[in-house]
Amino acid sequence: MESLKNNQLVKVIYDDKIVKAFLLATLAFAGIAFLVGVLIALQLAYWPLNMNLEWLTYGRMRPLHTNAAIFAFAGNAIFAGIYYSTQRLCKTRLFNDTLSWIHFWGWQAIILAAAISLPLGYSQSKEYAELEWPIDIAIAVIWVIFGVNFFGTLIRRREKHIYVALWFYISTIITVAMLHIVNSIEYPVSFMKSYPVWAGVQDAMIQWWYGHNAVAFFLTTPFLGLMYYFVPKAVNRPVYSYRLSIVHFWALIFLYIWAGPHHLLYTALPDWAQTFGMVFSVMLWAPSWGGMINGLLTLRGVWHLLRTDPIIKFFVTALTFYGMSTFEGPLLSIKSVSHIAHYTDWIVGHVHGGTLGWNGFMVFGMIYFLIPKLWGRQMYSKSMMVSHFWIGFAGILLYYVSMAAAGITQGLMWRAMDANGNLLYPDFVETVLKIVPLYWVRALGGGLYLIGFFIMIYNVYKTIRMAPAVQADTEVMVPVSALDAHPEASTGHRRLEGLVPTFSVLAFLAVFVGSVLEIYPSLNLKQYIKNETPVEPYSPLELAGRDIYIREGCYTCHSQMIRQVADDVLRFGKPSTISESMYDRPFQWGSKRTGPDLARVGKKYPNLWHYKHMIDPRSVTPKSIMPNYPWLADHPTDFVSLRKKVAVMRSLGVPYDDNTLAQADVMAENEAKVIAKDLADQGITQSGLDKKEIVALIAYMQALGQKEKKKGDDDGKNVAGSL
Amino acid sequence: MSNEMDKEIVGHDYDGIKEYDNPLPGWWLLTFYGTIIFAFIYVAHYESGSGNSLKKDLEIALAQIETLKSSVGPIKLDSEEVLLEKAKDPKLLAVGAEQFQGKCASCHGNELQGLIGPNLTDNFWIHGKGTLTDVITTIRTGVADKGMPPWEGILKNEEIQALASFIHSKYGSQPANPKEPQGQKIE
Repeated sequence: MESLKNNQLVKVIYDDKIVKAFLLATLAFAGIAFLVGVLIALQLAYWPLNMNLEWLTYGRMRPLHTNAAIFAFAGNAIFAGIYYSTQRLCKTRLFNDTLSWIHFWGWQAIILAAAISLPLGYSQSKEYAELEWPIDIAIAVIWVIFGVNFFGTLIRRREKHIYVALWFYISTIITVAMLHIVNSIEYPVSFMKSYPVWAGVQDAMIQWWYGHNAVAFFLTTPFLGLMYYFVPKAVNRPVYSYRLSIVHFWALIFLYIWAGPHHLLYTALPDWAQTFGMVFSVMLWAPSWGGMINGLLTLRGVWHLLRTDPIIKFFVTALTFYGMSTFEGPLLSIKSVSHIAHYTDWIVGHVHGGTLGWNGFMVFGMIYFLIPKLWGRQMYSKSMMVSHFWIGFAGILLYYVSMAAAGITQGLMWRAMDANGNLLYPDFVETVLKIVPLYWVRALGGGLYLIGFFIMIYNVYKTIRMAPAVQADTEVMVPVSALDAHPEASTGHRRLEGLVPTFSVLAFLAVFVGSVLEIYPSLNLKQYIKNETPVEPYSPLELAGRDIYIREGCYTCHSQMIRQVADDVLRFGKPSTISESMYDRPFQWGSKRTGPDLARVGKKYPNLWHYKHMIDPRSVTPKSIMPNYPWLADHPTDFVSLRKKVAVMRSLGVPYDDNTLAQADVMAENEAKVIAKDLADQGITQSGLDKKEIVALIAYMQALGQKEKKKGDDDGKNVAGSL
Repeated sequence: MSNEMDKEIVGHDYDGIKEYDNPLPGWWLLTFYGTIIFAFIYVAHYESGSGNSLKKDLEIALAQIETLKSSVGPIKLDSEEVLLEKAKDPKLLAVGAEQFQGKCASCHGNELQGLIGPNLTDNFWIHGKGTLTDVITTIRTGVADKGMPPWEGILKNEEIQALASFIHSKYGSQPANPKEPQGQKIE
């Protein structure tokens, strides 16, 4: 009976067109992501490249780079690889062609919306989650469509058990949906402006739960899935260890979800959450290496291919960078290492070891593998593939080494103290200027990587040009149903591999449990602030200024979180508290200090200093590398929307009184007149200055660190006894 | 070609991909167990209270720095006469000029003519009477209300003295575009 069934074959036509579309989109958006990356690298080395244009300043370009690299380049590549491999692993065509194409065009429309809205300054200023609420909704919808199409394909599979690659795809789809939706819960103020429902430490906790797991479940698990398909296919060897696959898969997804707080070490986040973030990161080391081992040991017996086959060069290097990054990650998560590395370029180097090395080279290898299969022609030039490899590899090495050196140098300079207990480099800009030469090296590294990519584009272009004119989708003959093709009784994990719904629920629970246990306590903010000094909410003008700070992406270079370490306290004042950011939507603690921390910058400088500093930072801080912001003195402040903004804030729990609610715009205009008068008294004679954004931003800057209800210690510099 | 222990698992064939039944590498498993044991010990140490909280660690570090600072003892300033004598040293003036351009010029102007902060070349003074001792005190403590930061701890004592000497050397230099006089006229 069984064998009879197995002999009946059916013709299946795989959907190769959708894979081709996603592949070409990958190449197009890789170009944009890499170009913008090189631009912002050069802007850090040479500030005039900000060009005094608001649309091209670093603060707006950096989110464009990260979003393009993660969601456009890696995103499209994941979809291409998943759609190609899933059809073949399930021996069936994709669930629904219409859903496939809605997925494709929807995703490209989202990317286009991002590419337009980010340079225009529509940003939530939450890392890798900058896109505003209408785009957030579109992402959720398209992701669910992708999920339906994927799970529909699994249901229709003609293979009883699901292969390890599919396990990783399942966990990716489930977890990304959860992360994106929870982190994006926001209250719209207008079309393209919203405030998150999460505030301060909650927002920080949830954002880094999201942010870290964007790395985990967008740049790691799907790529491990791709690796498990494409590496054994490319070398035609069995996977090293099935048991290792099982153990490292479950360990990885269960442990990863906890690791987010390692981005917040020494901050105001409660100690226990930091401790958990650290130890779970340390425990991730072995499960991560499980993937590398299984990949690399699959090559046993065919290592000679590393010399002869450029695709294998890319895959092996990618796996090696994966191993390096996942060793460095746990290392950086150790509190005392984080003390040096946090806020520095070491983190930037670490991330690019993963993205350029692991993600980039996996994708390049996959594309070189797929193009001949899909277009029916050998790659135009093998030597160009080899050149791409070596130039790109040299680029990654320059990038990584320069950024690690820059980060460690700066981290050590920040904490250096003389024998009298004074900071050795009290001038922040001095520590920046020291590493500017390394910024040039980094830009060179990025430039090489880009050149390698251009070689690939040319190679792909020539290949496709010479491909047969008539392109047909792959046809295969497969058994009608293989669901009962394996008569052996399956037990344990093997049985689970035949039960997709159960498997998916368990994968969800693995990521859900850690999420709830870690995030739930922060939802009750009050328990953490009951012993702290109460704070005032921002005045309407300060709120308007804050939204300008958010629009310009100041968080890409400035933190607002003085850590509980002595050198931070000596440099910037007493450590930031939870209550100080309790009304901050979004939180702006930041993750990088290209410029100094701003948590206590309020009242440190006169208004005129800030005015001059925004127009031309070098007029008050010689050699500063910050861009000019001349348009802030031209653009009118948006007073009209303030009542709506205050109303939204109040409905989210910020204690604004009825008067503020009714008069927010008038109050802001009056506040602005006071600051404008002060500036006028000191010689800034611009007419209508009180209506300009620069005044609102100055109001916000002067409020930073000044909102605690007074007991008379607003001088944060005076550290002893003020803790 | 292949290892003795490699054994393909029957029935595992996905689009031609097969799987070996190899055991978990021992060193890998030991690493994994090691990190788990470390995690338990670390959490137990810090959550049971036997390890210091971050706040406690910071207090200890700051107390050590306070000890360092107080061990230096109070700064003994030379008398005005001695300071004036030392202020003639061209090397000291060169150090002061360099510090001024880097730290002070953004608010007091390149020519000390006054900008955000007051003119330092005229004979009107807001804090003290313009003696070297007065200027050194103002540089050290800053003027928080007006946004002038305290430079003690950022600049070394010799640098502050050099700065004051440089400023002193510019009295009556009559720069172009001076800021209007502020404070008391000192004859």
